[in-house]
Amino acid sequence: MQTPPHTALAVEAVDVTKRYGDLVAVDHLSLSVAPGEVYGILGPNGAGKTTFLRMLFGLIRPDSGTVRVFGRTWADSGVGVLDGVAGFIESPRFYPYLTGRQNLEGLALLDGGDRGSRSRRIEGVLDVVDLAGREGDKVAGYSYGMRQRLGVAASLLRDPRLLVLDEPANGLDPGGIRDMRALVTRLADSGLTVLLSSHHMDEVEEICDNVTIMARGQVAFHGSIGDLRAMAPDPGHLLSTSDDALAVALAREQHPDIAVETDPEGGLVAIGSRERLSAYVADLVRADLELRQFTPTQTPLEALFFMLTDTRTDTRTGTRSAKGAGR
Amino acid sequence: MTSTTVQRHRAPVVDAAAHRPGLGAALSWESRKLRSQLRTKALLVGAVLAPLAVVVIVHSQPRPPKDTLFGRFATDNGFAMALLVLGFASQWVLPLLTAVVAGDIFASEDQHGTWKTVLTRSTSRSTLFWAKTAVAVAFALVTLALLAASTIAASWLVVGHQPLTGLSGQVVPAHTALALVAGAWASMALPIIGFTCLALLFSVWSRNAAVGIAAPVVLGLVMQLVGALGGIETLRPFLLSTPFEAWHGLLAAPRFTGPLLDSLVTSAGWSVVCLTAAYLILRRRDITGG
Repeated sequence: MQTPPHTALAVEAVDVTKRYGDLVAVDHLSLSVAPGEVYGILGPNGAGKTTFLRMLFGLIRPDSGTVRVFGRTWADSGVGVLDGVAGFIESPRFYPYLTGRQNLEGLALLDGGDRGSRSRRIEGVLDVVDLAGREGDKVAGYSYGMRQRLGVAASLLRDPRLLVLDEPANGLDPGGIRDMRALVTRLADSGLTVLLSSHHMDEVEEICDNVTIMARGQVAFHGSIGDLRAMAPDPGHLLSTSDDALAVALAREQHPDIAVETDPEGGLVAIGSRERLSAYVADLVRADLELRQFTPTQTPLEALFFMLTDTRTDTRTGTRSAKGAGR
Repeated sequence: MTSTTVQRHRAPVVDAAAHRPGLGAALSWESRKLRSQLRTKALLVGAVLAPLAVVVIVHSQPRPPKDTLFGRFATDNGFAMALLVLGFASQWVLPLLTAVVAGDIFASEDQHGTWKTVLTRSTSRSTLFWAKTAVAVAFALVTLALLAASTIAASWLVVGHQPLTGLSGQVVPAHTALALVAGAWASMALPIIGFTCLALLFSVWSRNAAVGIAAPVVLGLVMQLVGALGGIETLRPFLLSTPFEAWHGLLAAPRFTGPLLDSLVTSAGWSVVCLTAAYLILRRRDITGG
């Protein structure tokens, strides 16, 4: 097996395509992740994120293009591609009739190393994910969040240089999401390269340095979070007053730089920069209008995400439905 | 989660390659999983206890089952009883016993969604394939050995160990009969391995444990039915059910072993074809579930 150069990119995908019949799950995707980077792959469900990660792990083969991990390809190195790589695809799965510890012991066995070092590593990762004390329970009795944490523990067992996490906060309650994000942040701070797939803009924004946004298998955006923020549109707000007609008229006469429209479901939608919206609201109050509601619909990055991924967005609620076929 | 400091992970690539586990680690893991399952323990216990129950029940019948091979002497002769049980077991019990594990061993990974769990470690599909195959074959042979030992012992103890009347009417001394009965049971190993490989193929192909377990048993019964039909002499040697009868020559006078060699060829052929097909399917398939 070739020993890859230490300067190799952690992940390099070149013109990767995967089809399922007529459906193009990943369409000429190219991206690169540098060592030490925390990289996000963002997209709605069915965008092709998980399909790409499956190709990275060798679970499926691309129809064309190349995926390199630390300079190695599956064709050149076989399972050696995964040396220094760990993670999970979608929700992590384990053998329900075994305990959490037995699952980790088995997976550690498949990773190699002597019994003593395996045992020490298991103790360590159980502590990191806060499963110490529950490791003797059968996985069948684990909650969803515990399985997610066991998935992270199983990944850390491999002492990875690249950690690949596919929707790690998916299905977790708010506390679990907070804890999972804190853990990923700590791992990233430790120097790991992290490749994080998500459909939550705030998750990627909080953790990642760079991001690729995918839609219907294609790259819709590629760049830094800073670049993404610069592209973000003005935020939208739900607005309700004691006289909405007067509020609309006031906006048209005195604040032409913001858009205020009637919402079909009641109230108004105001779109503009924070400063201009603040000035507009102040004028509404001066005009003796009673302000009954003024709440943001979606963050600017969320709005940009929906725009880039070409999903229909209800400007009032921020809810949307993807035009692309589910994958 | 705790605020335990997360260590900076820097596994040297060369070291990882040097420590990559081989077939032994995968064998150990598959064996451990199998031993942890209640079904496995139940099957092994059943293989020990069920023959005892069958022998006691048959022995307590007022009239022997004369319409079956060695049935006429089964209530009076322990060796005949062991061969009667063998003839019955070979019809569907032995294929079922091996299929319960072999038909499930690949499909259960699909059922639990754990292919992605094990294939994202440092173990290849090939290694896992051969480890699962070896464990399934080993289980089949262990089950057969337990079943044989239990049947022979129960028959010996419950019915007795008088000289056996062979298929040609010859009298076989007890010590020779014991060796021949043991040999007859041992000859089941060949078709059992064939059925194990058939179940492995169904398990890989269908990704469904029910299909993996039931299909080999049904196919075995169909082959027995076809084998019993007249006018298919050219087809019969190729049926995987035929080797189950190869032991008959051991109990004839003069003794003949040609069917045992045919059994070896037939069973090996089925095993190679099934394993090759299963291997190729597993190597080429996309792991998309879970």
